Amino acid sequence: MLRLFSTIQKEMLIVLRDRGGLAIMFLMPMAMITIMALIQDAPFRDYQELKIPLLLINNDKGSLGIAVEKGLNESKIFDITKKNSSPEEVKKTVKSGDYEIAVIIPDNATELLNSKVSHFVAAKLSSVGLADSGKTDVKITDGSLNLNVFFSPDTKKSFKASILSSLKQSISKLETQTLLDYFSKELNKDESKVTDKKPIDDFVTLQEVSTIDTPKEALLLNSVQHNVPAWTIFGMFFIVISMSGSIIKERDEGSYTRILTMPGSYITVLAGKTTAYLFICLIQCVLMLLVGIFVLPHLGLPRLIIGNNISAMLLIAIATGLAATGYGVMVGTLFKTHQQSSTFGAVSIVILAALGGIWVPIYVMPEGIRLLAEFSPLNWALSAFHKLFLSEGTIQTILPNLLKLFAFFISTLLVAFIYNKKK
Amino acid sequence: MTTSGTAIEVNHLLKIYKGASFPAVNNISFSIEKNSIFGLLGPNGAGKTTTISILCGLIKLTNGNAELLGLSIKSSAEEIKKQIGIVPQEIALYPSLTAFENLRYIGNMYGLKGKELRDKIKDHLEIVGLLSSSDKQIKTFSGGMKRRINLIAGILHQPKILFLDEPTVGVDVQSRNMITEHLHHINKQGCTIIYTSHLMEEAENLCSDIAIIDNGEIIIKGKPKTLINENNSDNLEQLFLKLTGKKLRD
Repeated sequence: MLRLFSTIQKEMLIVLRDRGGLAIMFLMPMAMITIMALIQDAPFRDYQELKIPLLLINNDKGSLGIAVEKGLNESKIFDITKKNSSPEEVKKTVKSGDYEIAVIIPDNATELLNSKVSHFVAAKLSSVGLADSGKTDVKITDGSLNLNVFFSPDTKKSFKASILSSLKQSISKLETQTLLDYFSKELNKDESKVTDKKPIDDFVTLQEVSTIDTPKEALLLNSVQHNVPAWTIFGMFFIVISMSGSIIKERDEGSYTRILTMPGSYITVLAGKTTAYLFICLIQCVLMLLVGIFVLPHLGLPRLIIGNNISAMLLIAIATGLAATGYGVMVGTLFKTHQQSSTFGAVSIVILAALGGIWVPIYVMPEGIRLLAEFSPLNWALSAFHKLFLSEGTIQTILPNLLKLFAFFISTLLVAFIYNKKK
Repeated sequence: MTTSGTAIEVNHLLKIYKGASFPAVNNISFSIEKNSIFGLLGPNGAGKTTTISILCGLIKLTNGNAELLGLSIKSSAEEIKKQIGIVPQEIALYPSLTAFENLRYIGNMYGLKGKELRDKIKDHLEIVGLLSSSDKQIKTFSGGMKRRINLIAGILHQPKILFLDEPTVGVDVQSRNMITEHLHHINKQGCTIIYTSHLMEEAENLCSDIAIIDNGEIIIKGKPKTLINENNSDNLEQLFLKLTGKKLRD
């Protein structure tokens, strides 16, 4: 135990006297949390309170124009601007990116619809001998009825499809209503007898069932709830640079050789080093969370909600710290120079962070990348924090994440151990 | 088996590094008497460091055996580590720690603690003239001061055998003098010293016995004065050049 405690004491003294290292370990992640939470505040709001700018040119004065406009308004996802512009101007405006979508409802669209429907009804009734040779009271208007929809060039296919489907739904309902009206009218020439002119009901309705069980979940993932745990994990993993540097320096300066000539196992020394850096990781974690709770609200951002399960949070911090220190031992063992280890360490953490959803949430990533995210230890840690903070997770619910992080820690130590043995 | 007066007995020691076409140490045998100061001398790449590294348990031998204080390096490596000290050529200290903190850490690693350890550190620092610098960080020390602390780090636990690899390289005359005086002092207290150096004059004055190793083989062994006389040389450097040649070893 004396060797273990002495190593912890030595490592802590070295770290505390390395001002540059302290800045990397503490100030940098704190600055990252603050800056990223501020920068991503607006985009996060956009994801959840999405309002797509839409230009509507409604040249129709009838029911079709009203129905389409009503449908667009009821969807609550559009920020609608109404204008009178030519198709060329509309195309230009959308192409320039001023609007994501534009819809042009042509002049006399309702009249055209009525004409087509009445014609269709009369023809159908005539074919079954219920009306006289397709005559109608409605003036027959020639020409096709097209609603023109313009999309910005960078609009995704899936988004286009959902918008078109939504528009089609509004139009279909009106088409059906118009059809029914004309059938009634044709079958009952005495208009006064058409008593039921109320709009048709939806026979099948779609009901959104909320998956939010607790008031805390209603918080949704905001910039602070994402960025504070995300950059805390990133900062904890950045300890790899200091730790691997310490291992390489010890090797270069001969202390490692001296330690090997001393009685006792080197594993004790490694355990002391890991414990010291784990302790630093835990201090980092506490400081970063405090920034989210006490500092960010003063900058106009939401307060970080961490819940009451402190023991589960401590377990996540320990598991993340162990994964980070294990990675540090592995990098410090595999690389010969501090330059190599710091470059590899930094780049690999940035890649694992990007894959792990630290930069942007996983749900906005492409499908393939989302699969890769499953292999990032930073993702395991972040997902555990989210489960705890947003879904009132328990130790049981975060256990798979904790086990993965612990397995990563053991694997990295094993790689370092085997490499050292072979060397 | 070592005799009662033998500190180290090396028998047919062979070391071939993985992928090497010739042995780094080629079947060497020698013994070192207890309480002697033994100089293991040789040009660069001769096999000195490999031999010492095997004896310290840092690398594994390919064949043969060696015993330190009657303990085989094959079966009693952990017990041997308690009996030996090493002063590497590098300043194997932590620059941001003070002299006292460095020595306390190393003492702790040998199981020393408390007042006993503090007294030992104080005594050694006083002998090498660095007591007043005890609380200063190593990075503020001169080369000579670092070397003296490096020496204390190797002898703090009072080893029975001390390995020194170029302990005075790059230091001023005063520091070198202090180091060699301290080595004589600890040798008189019963510590056997194995010393490597390229400073032939220092080796001639310090060592009671020497061996010259080249191409992994011991080419001569004995007392410095006797060897110089037997080989019609004026000093150890002349003898060294006579035996190892003047060809550069890079």
